[in-house]
Amino acid sequence: MNEFKVTIDTFDGPLDLMLHLIKEKQLDLMNLDMNVLTDQYIAYLNQMENLHLEIASEYLSELATLIEYKSKKMLPGKHEDLDDSYEEDPKDRLVKRLLEYQQFKEASEDLNALYESRQLQLSRPLSDEVDQWMKEDESLPYEGNPYDLMRAMKRVMMRMRLSVPQESTYTVKEVSMEDRELKVRAMLDKLPKTFRFENLLEDVHDMPMFIATFLSVLDLARQHTLAFTVDENDVIWFTRGGNAE
Amino acid sequence: MNEDMNTIENNLPQIEANETVEAHEEKNVQLSMDPSIQEEEEAKLAQKENDVKLKAILEGLLFLVGDDGLTVEQASKSMDISTKKAEQLFDALQKDYVDDSRGFEIERYGSRYRFLSKAFVHEAAKKLFSIDKISKLSNAALETLAIIAYKQPITRVEIEEIRGVGADVMIRKLEARGLIKEEGRSDAPGRPFLYSVTDEFMDAFKLLSLDELPDLPEFNKDNNDDLFHS
Repeated sequence: MNEFKVTIDTFDGPLDLMLHLIKEKQLDLMNLDMNVLTDQYIAYLNQMENLHLEIASEYLSELATLIEYKSKKMLPGKHEDLDDSYEEDPKDRLVKRLLEYQQFKEASEDLNALYESRQLQLSRPLSDEVDQWMKEDESLPYEGNPYDLMRAMKRVMMRMRLSVPQESTYTVKEVSMEDRELKVRAMLDKLPKTFRFENLLEDVHDMPMFIATFLSVLDLARQHTLAFTVDENDVIWFTRGGNAE
Repeated sequence: MNEDMNTIENNLPQIEANETVEAHEEKNVQLSMDPSIQEEEEAKLAQKENDVKLKAILEGLLFLVGDDGLTVEQASKSMDISTKKAEQLFDALQKDYVDDSRGFEIERYGSRYRFLSKAFVHEAAKKLFSIDKISKLSNAALETLAIIAYKQPITRVEIEEIRGVGADVMIRKLEARGLIKEEGRSDAPGRPFLYSVTDEFMDAFKLLSLDELPDLPEFNKDNNDDLFHS
């Protein structure tokens, strides 16, 4: 009853699988034997099914194209249908797609090499002290989308990880968001009208506390106690009073 | 810092003054060549000193901005110099760090210059910070990025046609990582979003501009064999 099911991502889609089959069976892409490709493709999907692997719908839709082509070819006297149609021959179309996909697959390998070498070079975050010089902008426009916020949060987390000394002992501590919210409210009184998310993190040294703080400000924003915005440097700014209507 | 800026400003007119004196003397004098040459030398020297100072300020700014990086425009604005001058200074400063006796260097990817530790530092840094893995991009992510970089601006459907798989989730992931952005809408039915790569993409792939991307491999009958039987 409870069959073991996994999804694998060995191939990045049906085109990737076809390219693999073509290479493996040493088929000539410029003179593609659709019969062999279709048989191999079906065999592979069957194998996946036998292993109880989930087959993504994209594979099935390409399979339908392959089978349609094969069946049309097999029908006697219907060949001219393929030639007469205004549409591009499905085989040519498939070959074209495979070639184009192959191009980008190769290009992505070049990109990967560049990415990996870039990963070996590290930079340091913006000087902390610069924060103190920064002008406070009282008028915070509310714009941006959740992804801006996600990206900005990632940055705050990274800075926190860099600035906090590594602790080697672990203690289990329950952090409740409600408690944290009370604390944050208390902190608000001491902060200027407009402040940065980092200002709320001065007593935060671990991830649960950090998350509780983030949830609290989200809740405060929901209650219109605070409004936030993310500027072009991915800094999260809060302003008190919010944009209450 | 303000003080420094003032002294530089003061230096500039001084140089001009030197130059006019020099020109004046050249007209006037057949007496001896020595004074004018000397003036010229002095002017050159002053210019050099000034440049050294400006370069040092630029270095300081780069140090402060960290991974935020500094654009030519930002440098020219904050130092009251022309963008051309700023570019020259960046160039000169960059050269100072090229030598392998330095552990970090100045790189410009996209529009921003920043200090980066050199690749050969990574081995030791890994031990110091117990970095156990390097962030990797999946094949699917790399392929999607390659398609966008070469074909931008491009719609989601166009990406899906090339890869033969849905790109919805991947686009949102790449957008959240800041590697791609929405840039206007296509005129196609439904006016779908167009996507293009960001400055952060340039940084992640060590590119100054998209022109630096290697040419897409051309495929035809002749080189087909190499591709599939290599």
